[in-house]
Amino acid sequence: MADIGYIALCLALTASVYSAIAYTVGARRRNWPLVTSAKNSLLAVSGLISISIAILAYALVTHNFQLEYVASYSSRDMPLAYLLSALWAGNDGSLLFWAWLLSIFAAIVILQKRNIGQELVPYASSVIAVTLAFFLVLLLFISTPFHKLSFTPVDGTGLNPLLENPGMILHPPALLVGYVGFTIPFAFAMAALLTKRLGDEWLIMIRRWALLAWLCLGVGLIIGAWWAYVELGWGGYWAWDPVENAGLLPWLVSTAFLHSIMMQRRRGMLKAWNMVLVILTFSLTIFGTFLTRSGVLSSVHTFSESTLGPFFLTFIGVTLFGSLGLLYYRSADLRDEAEMESFISRESTFLLNNLLLIGSTFAIFLGTVFPVISEMVRGVKITVGPPFFNQVNGPIFLALILLTGICTLTGWRRVSIRNLTRHFLWPLLAGLILGIVIFILGVREWYALIGFPICGFVLTTILYEWSRGVKVRHQIRAENYFKAFWCLITTNRPRYGGYIVHIAILLMTIGIVGSSLYDVEQEVTLKPGEMMTIKNYTLTYENLDIYETENRAVVTTTLSVNNHGELVGKLVPEKYFHRSYKQPVTEVAIRTTLREDLYVILLGWDEDNTATFKVLVNPLVSWIWIGGGVFLLGGLIACWPER
Amino acid sequence: MTDVSRQLICQCGCTLVLSNCTHHECGSREIITNLLNEKLNQGQSEAAIIQFFVTQYGEQVLSAPPKKGFNLAAWVTPFAALLFGVGVVYVTLKRWVRREKQNHSSVVIEEDERYTRQLEKELKEFNERSFR
Repeated sequence: MADIGYIALCLALTASVYSAIAYTVGARRRNWPLVTSAKNSLLAVSGLISISIAILAYALVTHNFQLEYVASYSSRDMPLAYLLSALWAGNDGSLLFWAWLLSIFAAIVILQKRNIGQELVPYASSVIAVTLAFFLVLLLFISTPFHKLSFTPVDGTGLNPLLENPGMILHPPALLVGYVGFTIPFAFAMAALLTKRLGDEWLIMIRRWALLAWLCLGVGLIIGAWWAYVELGWGGYWAWDPVENAGLLPWLVSTAFLHSIMMQRRRGMLKAWNMVLVILTFSLTIFGTFLTRSGVLSSVHTFSESTLGPFFLTFIGVTLFGSLGLLYYRSADLRDEAEMESFISRESTFLLNNLLLIGSTFAIFLGTVFPVISEMVRGVKITVGPPFFNQVNGPIFLALILLTGICTLTGWRRVSIRNLTRHFLWPLLAGLILGIVIFILGVREWYALIGFPICGFVLTTILYEWSRGVKVRHQIRAENYFKAFWCLITTNRPRYGGYIVHIAILLMTIGIVGSSLYDVEQEVTLKPGEMMTIKNYTLTYENLDIYETENRAVVTTTLSVNNHGELVGKLVPEKYFHRSYKQPVTEVAIRTTLREDLYVILLGWDEDNTATFKVLVNPLVSWIWIGGGVFLLGGLIACWPER
Repeated sequence: MTDVSRQLICQCGCTLVLSNCTHHECGSREIITNLLNEKLNQGQSEAAIIQFFVTQYGEQVLSAPPKKGFNLAAWVTPFAALLFGVGVVYVTLKRWVRREKQNHSSVVIEEDERYTRQLEKELKEFNERSFR
């Protein structure tokens, strides 16, 4: 079976190389039979990689431990969902998953019925075929999942226990769909440059692809943050780890892209800039893959070190400089005849939005690679951790959120001072009142005093904008307010989906500001029966128990929790010692409310049952996850096809 | 204690800030935390404690690069780049606004010329007719 998987990959490589060449030659010479042959060939690639991944999945499910990959990432005791998730648990499998996703996306691009841009498809497909060929070369010659062992082990090593979490089933696929999805906008951008069809056509074709990739990447990042929070056991959700950053970078640039394509669609502006953004996004997705697989930077996320680094670096170099070169070659055709009546307009806010997003991307990129730069320049190893990223990005993110509100109520072309005053009066008042209220309530930290009022201001601008729309529909179409609200969203999904995403960002900001500034932590060693107090909670350590299961030893402790003197439940923080893994796994105990999380970690224990706990109270964390749900909702509304 | 420990990275290879490392098997967390407590109890200043750990483990023990020397580049470059970006945005906007004004005024000139020509033609015709 495994041989069939390998042979399928060999054939897929041949077919993708043929497809890339045939598409380009066929399109240039207008040889349509050749283009059709290239199309069929790319569809065959999709089928062949599907066969290959199905064989690997089958090997995982049937415990074919003769395959090194299956023996390394699965075991007999794993449930079906985790057996399947082992597909992306290792380097080789995740590369195959990447190639498979791209081949499926290629098939969708080819089979999609469209009224415009048919001329771009052959060139775009050719770019996709080249990218597929690159991944297939890696899969066949560097990192094959079908490598056989000289013997068949009785059982496999299994997944790293940290990966046995629902997050494993959702987080990597969501991120990978996001990463891979950005290949399609890049391919169409290149097709537009190659064919000199530089109008809006390519943007219309890729808008939904870009939006879906952006949404999946964003959701993947949020699920990753949640997973880190509940599983890694350090009390936080974002550590500014290089690989986390690598996922955030393309998301930030694509956010800029999704905003700036509106400028091109509406006003014919920023044509060249949009090309730059799409090229950057694609390059950063490959950069993220490079970081995860090269081992060049220390991270908890990296796969075991491999020899893939130089290949990815070369691919990034070729695609980045090649596409920028092509862009430069076509720059004369990309000059826009943009004009504006006033400095104050939505166009200006979009430009600033792009500036801040790219500025933040640059700051995160620099911080991520600075240890390597420092070692190269000074020969000194340094660490760039959370304090750097928080200090540099904090002000940029706050400015960005403020701009979200200003942009909502600023019209295209020009805005008069009278209009500005009329529209911004209530939102400004709302922000100001919120600031005064929280000050009176005792808030003194600058970030909170600025951050929360900004959130209040932006939320009011969105609600004000919605209420204006509802009122107009109610007056003109005589719809009741509920119907008017519903129709407002359904008739302009991209716009109102976008506003919902903005609300999601506000909710997450509230959670991030609250949990970053007002978290309290305490480390205590207790004997059974002793208690400790943290904020309004009193925790009583009841007992410690050690027991064995089939595959692990479990140390479990029980604490009863009183909130303001009232018993609210019990928490059971644990440590697992898996037989197949050296490192013990921390199972944190969390009591979640909308107001705050009580988070307990079992650090250690003695023979006399004395146990050491780290207890944290993290305010407002739930709002980050609620914001994640709202983000998904808003994104889906924005993506949903219009009637 | 927490403030100082947030400025240090655990040296067990977990890449986490010292106060965040909760690994059971981590040796360096305990050593660094004990030393940290000892020095805090001795009344040493935050700066002196940090310097002690830098001497012991090198700059990599710090959770952020110190704001001096070459490391200053990491702190300053993002904001310098943003400032540069603000300049670019300003110049771009100015060009767009100027272009709009130019185009608008050229339309006016064209319109004026058209009406002037029309007026001259009509006057000429009027004069010619009046002579008849």
